[in-house]
Order: sequence, then structure tokens, then C-alpha cells
Amino acid sequence: MAVGQPQDEEVATLVLASAAGDASAWEALVARFSGLVWSIVRGYRLTRADSADVFQTTWLRLVEHIDRLHAPEQVGAWLATTARRECLRAARAHARSVPADETTLVLLGQPDDHSPEQAVLETEQARLDTARAERLWQALASLPPRCSQLLRVLMASPPPNYAEVAAALGMPVGSIGPTRARCLQRLRETLAGQVSGPASSAHDHEQTGREGTHAG
Amino acid sequence: MPDEPEDAEMEAGLRQAAARFDPVPAELIQAAKAAFGWRSVDAELAELVSDSLLDEAGAALVRGAGGPRLLHFRSGLLTIEIEVTRTRSACELVGQIFPAQPAELDIRHGAHVDRARVDDLGRFRAEFVPAGPVSLYCRPASGGTGIAVVTDWIPL
Repeated sequence: MAVGQPQDEEVATLVLASAAGDASAWEALVARFSGLVWSIVRGYRLTRADSADVFQTTWLRLVEHIDRLHAPEQVGAWLATTARRECLRAARAHARSVPADETTLVLLGQPDDHSPEQAVLETEQARLDTARAERLWQALASLPPRCSQLLRVLMASPPPNYAEVAAALGMPVGSIGPTRARCLQRLRETLAGQVSGPASSAHDHEQTGREGTHAG
Repeated sequence: MPDEPEDAEMEAGLRQAAARFDPVPAELIQAAKAAFGWRSVDAELAELVSDSLLDEAGAALVRGAGGPRLLHFRSGLLTIEIEVTRTRSACELVGQIFPAQPAELDIRHGAHVDRARVDDLGRFRAEFVPAGPVSLYCRPASGGTGIAVVTDWIPL
């Protein structure tokens, strides 16, 4: 967890420089926080186009607010709050046009995103690592939305601080630690095959991913 | 916070998986960087104060699921109300500015700007606005006085 004064000051400096028109400071902000914004967007069941729109809207919104932030050092939390609200808006818009059963069920990135050509080139060790990572990723996607959302945000690169995570999830800072521990426990149980929640049926190939591979 | 070694290992694995399977798409990072080009230094911001999409009661009871979406922006100077109707491939905007005054409107979306005229009664209309983030930039009609107003970006 990145918490501390120096980082805060650095971020505040970037915000103030951006507000003064410094494009390179803006690009540094994008580099610093796009992982966080994306991790929030990916916690919602949004189409690819909606995900892109939410991501872009969040940054566009900041462009017009950059010189009006009350706490420039908390721009990460501001972005997280904005991204979460825009995800809810997009989910609502979708629910309105297409009657949806659940609007905020998690659909995380699918492991089959990577190309088969790439897989062929991988060494045996890399293949094992990939299988393990896929298993972990699918287990994450099968957790209850609140858990997979929280863990996905905690996995953002670079790691967000707790204020940013709290804003991303709309939960008090104090409950992040306990929730995180509970969700990791849940993930461990899922990996061990002790829990098969209803959400796991969302991934047809999860069962095959689970068989025969042991992490370690 | 609980940092059992087991948890730390699992989180490290998750972090790698996230980086591998779900990185931020490069084109989105580029677009976010380019977003800075939309900065309007000379305008007052009209913030989004309501969106019928998020106002459950309003959306469901007053409008019904098929009705136009209502957006409401407010700055210290003026209020902008917009009705958004989605057509198959684009959106139609019908709006009004209060207090009523003639103005020039830039409809900013994607990498483009469409122009519209605000009439003497403060009314405007724009067709074929593509879905995606949109912001309106409203400046006094030529010959008029006053400061420009720009709305928050909002996805249509």
C-alpha cells in the first residue's frame, strides 16, 4: 500500500502543473492513475465500448476539474469516485436499454485474450505459469462481485492507497482490510475447490481450468 | 491489515495475472493523454447536477423506460437542460439555456466538434451526435458579451 507524504506531494505537484497547462504533468498523471481507473471499470459488467467510454469520460471529466480540485493530492480518490459513478451510470443505461438480470455482476478480463501463437512460443515453465495464472484469474472472476471488485482494484498497477480503494468501492477505509482478508480467504477456498458459488457457472471453462493443476 | 505470507503470495500471483490478462489498453491510455487537449481555460464550468438515468424515481415514474433522458447542468451564470433521444446509431439533443439568450454552441465529442446555434429563446437542437462522451461549450453569440460556459463531460 502506497501511503505517505512524499507521494502525496508528488501527485499534488502534477495536478497543479497540469492545471497550469503542463501536458507532460498530465501524461504523468495518466500513467500514475490509469491502472486504478481501469481496475474499477473492469469490476463492472460493461461492454467493451461502455468500458472505454467510462474510462475516457473519467479522464475528460478531470481535464475540466483539474484546476478546481479541493485536495489536489487526493486526485486518485477523485478519479476513483468519478470512475465508480460512471460505471454505475453505464450499468444503469444498459439496464434501461436492455432489460438485464443483474447490472453489476463482474466480468473480468478473460484469459483467452492472449493469442494462441503466443502460447505456442512459450516454454513449458511459462506454460505452467500461465495455467496457474489463468486458474487464479478465473477464481477471482467467480467470486461475489464485491470481492472481485475489491481484489481487482487492489491489484491495480501501481498499487492504490487505501483512500483510493475506499473511493473506488464506495466503502469506508476501515472495512477494506477485513474485507480484503475475507475475500482472499474466499479465493483460497475457491482455488481449493471447496466452494462452488453460483457465479462460477458464468465461466464454462472454469471446471477444466480447475482440474489437474496445482499451484506451486 | 492481515498480511499472512499465503495472502501475500496469492496477491502477487493476482497482480501478475492482472498485468498479463487485463492490462489497460494502450489506445485508452493514449486517448486519456490526448484528453488534455480539450482543456478549456477561458470558460466557466457547468457541472452535471442531474441525470434522469440515475434518478430512479424520475426515470421510472415520470418518463418510463423509453422516454428521453434528461440532463441538467448548472454554472454560476446559466443552466443548461438537455433531452437526449437515442436513435439507432446516434443521439439527438434538444436543449435550452436559462436565462434565455442567443449563443453559439460547440458540441464536443470524440475528436470532433459540431456546431449548433442557440436561438433567442435559448433553444437548440443537434442531431447525429455519436454515442460516447460529450461536452457542450457555449459562448455568447457574436456581438454579445459574457463568458463562455462549458459542461461536464458525460457519456451519451
